[in-house]
Amino acid sequence: MRLQEHPIIDFTKRRGRKVTIYFEGKPIEAYEGEPIAEALHAAGIRVLSYTPKLNRPRGLFCAIGKCSSCLMVVNGIPNVRTCITLVEDGMRIERQRGLQPLPKNVKSPRWKDAEKKYGDIIVIGGGPAGLAAAIKAAENGAKVMLIDENPILGGQLVKQTHKFFGKREQFAGVRGIKIAEILAKEAKDKGVEIHLETSAIGIFQEGDQKMVAAVKKNTHLMEFYGKAVIVATGAMEKMIPFKNNDLPGVYGAGAIQTLMNTYGIEPGKRVLIVGAGNVGVILAYQLLQANVEVVAIVEAMPRIGGYFVHAAKIRRLGVPIYTRHTILRAEGKEKVERAVIAQIDEKWKPIPGTEKTFDVDIIALAVGLRPSVELLHQAGCQLVYVRELSGYVTRHDKRMETTVRGIFVAGDSSGIEEATTAMLEGKIAGLSAALLVGKAKPAVLEEIKKYQDDLNEFRSGPFGQHILKGIEKVMIHD
Amino acid sequence: MRSKAKTVIIGGGIIGLSIAYNLAKMGEEDIVVLEKSYLGSGSTFRCGSGIRQQFGDDANIQMMKRSVEIWKNMENELGYNVEFEQGGYLFLLYDEEELKTFERNVKLQNKYGVPSRIITPEEAKEIVPLLNTDGVIAAAFNHTDGKANPFKAVFAYANAAKKLGVDIYEYTEAKDIKVEDGKIKKVITDKGEIETGRVINAANAWAPLINKMAGVPVDIPIHPYKHQGIKTEPFKIGEINPMIVSFKHDGVYMTQEANQGGIIGGYALKYGPTYDITPTYEFLRGVSYRFSQIIPALKYLNVIRIWAGYYAETPDDNAAIGRINEVDEFYIAAGFSGHGFMLAPAVSEAIAELIVDGKTSKPLWFYDPYRFERGELREQAVQMG
Ligand SMILES: Cc1cc2nc3c(=O)[nH]c(=O)nc-3n(C[C@H](O)[C@H](O)[C@H](O)COP(=O)(O)OP(=O)(O)OC[C@H]3O[C@@H](n4cnc5c(N)ncnc54)[C@H](O)[C@@H]3O)c2cc1C
Ligand SMILES: Cc1cc2nc3c(=O)[nH]c(=O)nc-3n(C[C@H](O)[C@H](O)[C@H](O)COP(=O)(O)OP(=O)(O)OC[C@H]3O[C@@H](n4cnc5c(N)ncnc54)[C@H](O)[C@@H]3O)c2cc1C
Ligand code: FES
Repeated sequence: MRLQEHPIIDFTKRRGRKVTIYFEGKPIEAYEGEPIAEALHAAGIRVLSYTPKLNRPRGLFCAIGKCSSCLMVVNGIPNVRTCITLVEDGMRIERQRGLQPLPKNVKSPRWKDAEKKYGDIIVIGGGPAGLAAAIKAAENGAKVMLIDENPILGGQLVKQTHKFFGKREQFAGVRGIKIAEILAKEAKDKGVEIHLETSAIGIFQEGDQKMVAAVKKNTHLMEFYGKAVIVATGAMEKMIPFKNNDLPGVYGAGAIQTLMNTYGIEPGKRVLIVGAGNVGVILAYQLLQANVEVVAIVEAMPRIGGYFVHAAKIRRLGVPIYTRHTILRAEGKEKVERAVIAQIDEKWKPIPGTEKTFDVDIIALAVGLRPSVELLHQAGCQLVYVRELSGYVTRHDKRMETTVRGIFVAGDSSGIEEATTAMLEGKIAGLSAALLVGKAKPAVLEEIKKYQDDLNEFRSGPFGQHILKGIEKVMIHD
Repeated sequence: MRSKAKTVIIGGGIIGLSIAYNLAKMGEEDIVVLEKSYLGSGSTFRCGSGIRQQFGDDANIQMMKRSVEIWKNMENELGYNVEFEQGGYLFLLYDEEELKTFERNVKLQNKYGVPSRIITPEEAKEIVPLLNTDGVIAAAFNHTDGKANPFKAVFAYANAAKKLGVDIYEYTEAKDIKVEDGKIKKVITDKGEIETGRVINAANAWAPLINKMAGVPVDIPIHPYKHQGIKTEPFKIGEINPMIVSFKHDGVYMTQEANQGGIIGGYALKYGPTYDITPTYEFLRGVSYRFSQIIPALKYLNVIRIWAGYYAETPDDNAAIGRINEVDEFYIAAGFSGHGFMLAPAVSEAIAELIVDGKTSKPLWFYDPYRFERGELREQAVQMG
């Protein structure tokens, strides 16, 4: 089902040309610009594949190309990440059943040189961190190339229909989707060269140049050469253990946002949300906005972690929040039909007799994110596990340069925080990289200092203390 | 850590661990294995998993024949499944000269009972239907060659050795060896000293450093070269059973893992001598190109991992194995180039026999560590890379 009405976004205007795709031989209507898995979801298809060993059904989970839960056979080719591969008219799509054979009678590829692009700085990731970095570097005269594997710029922002908190100059009061548009326009105006649907697959040192190898539209290889690389690849959703947590319909919060806020697709009819942090609470509100019923939010902690105003709003709208509760299992044949929750004791053990069952078709996991550090790891940056930053992160200095000279990091990929800090870190990384490549004047050191101060101020609250403790563990001091 | 041992083996790769196991099996006690990092971290965990008897000289063929017998029975012997699979080795041949060499090799292999044979391109395509046989005039195939899982093989040997009383110390580096009047007194490690009268140098790429510690006066040229490997995402298991090799495509080799279904392999591109093991883009691209020439459908697969490790190379690509006369009870088994994983079972058995019985029936003479100094290089071992 597609959303016809939405208080904030007019999807009828956003949708592209109508096309027809074939799912296991059946024609299905889709719109140009829409990824395959999202179009299938709109047509009511939840099961995308079956696992190789246990033959368990799998569906969408992250919707940003990071979990491999959506692999399908597209035009005879197995292992396609359908959540970030756009539909094309006449496409043939099959469920992937275990390990698939490779296509027969294939010709050897024509082998030519990869398309090469040259510049000063390569930014990987076009979320708030990457965009802010690109803008600042370009503003100082660097030739910047920005690549993102999603079809749209803005990263997590493109899913945020709510107004942001924070400082005025950090876009407080502006809706996330709008911030994404503003940043994207500014980057283009400043001459940043943008490559969408382009996945970075590796960072290599080639002579005195850095080279980012990337694959465009799943088909062709590109090489980006420059003197510095800024990694702003964001984060991916965490999973928690419970029975049947792989059942189609157990979705990451981000995936649900992508479905409804980016593509105007109804994620489901009745949703149980796990996690009452910011993301869970905001997600509840966004679901209600899109006319989807939220049966409850469960939260293992004794208190709600999300912003008070949002939580209050949710309660007013009649959504119960069960603190000190957890999800025990998902139930259903091939897809989620029910969710069972229970109260937990001080030792986090479920208390017998407190189980509650909800009829739902979606279980939304809003249990946190972890930094996407795969490229940094591949590039040889030193990683450390820091609980306060939600996972493995790379060591870096005050200017966001990692342990590998010329590789910078910014945003959620340097530790899970918020868009505001992501943008500040991006600005610092962009300016520092521009300095390193010899484009920016030393005067920008003062500007860098200002953003460092802003970061400190922003992190001075109680939540920030926690983050600061984490950052201290990765910081390389001069 | 213990302060005394009868035997100290330096190196926790497949060679050091299998020697420890075989010594213990033959009744030796008081054995210690030192590994400066984690077990397998040197070359063993970075290898291409291939096991073949298709060599071009008598000694390597005999040794590998014995090795395969052991590999086949390893699950029984060590009590752990190391995923040994006999999918065969398939060498693609593109011209008469190559064919002639392989015909000669096959004859020699047959003499020792290795059932290799020359087959037609059509037969090759029957074995691997996805194969591109353009330009292939024949192939050499031996169905008793195969592959095993290096991670599991290391743990199988390590656990079996521990059960027989061997002490294995990881993150413990040999720093020096004290020798007096040609006799070993102790090994000094970063975690303490071990009094001992016997040292086995199984440090492969680092073997020259160990020789130096003991003051070995013989020149045993072993140099570390960086070689790389890749692994792809999985697809239907059983589509590419043999290890496919093409010297025409610069020694490219590839096979599908028996258990997980990804392709692993590489080709001859090498850098060095160097201890650097940063993977290179040149390799990634070069290997993708060569793979897709041989199996065109591989162009649809994503590479999920790339890594580098050492070939510890000698001038004739054969290892240096044996006793060093000038330092009493100092043994070396190192410099295995691209085939130490497959050889380990037979080599370790032979070394254990040499130490315990004073002699072995296996052709260890071929790997004589003194041959370099004497200028008696062997025929270059058949190897990819
Ligand atoms: C529900 C919700 C509500 C939120 N509300 C607020 C709020 O009110 N205020 C606030 O400040 N923050 C908020 N945030 C947090 C904020 O959205 C994130 O912290 C921020 O988007 C992080 O920015 P980023 O640029 O680091 O990463 P992202 O926005 O995640 O962007 C990363 C980008 O990198 C791309 N990428 C990743 N890997 C590759 C690759 N290999 N090759 C090419 N491209 C790649 C991705 O496609 C993506 O576009 C919210 C988040 C959520 C989920
Ligand atoms: C890309 C690649 C592909 C290959 N493919 C194959 C193949 O298909 N088939 C095959 O048979 N072989 C293959 N090889 C070769 C094979 O990996 C090696 O020959 C084999 O692993 C050697 O085993 P080893 O135990 O001698 O060495 P290693 O595994 O290197 O073990 C030596 C150990 O000694 C330790 N050490 C060194 N110095 C000290 C010290 N001072 N103190 C304590 N410990 C020390 C090291 O840390 C190391 O772990 C390949 C190699 C590479 C790199
Ligand atoms: S990769 Fe597609 S759903 Fe996660």
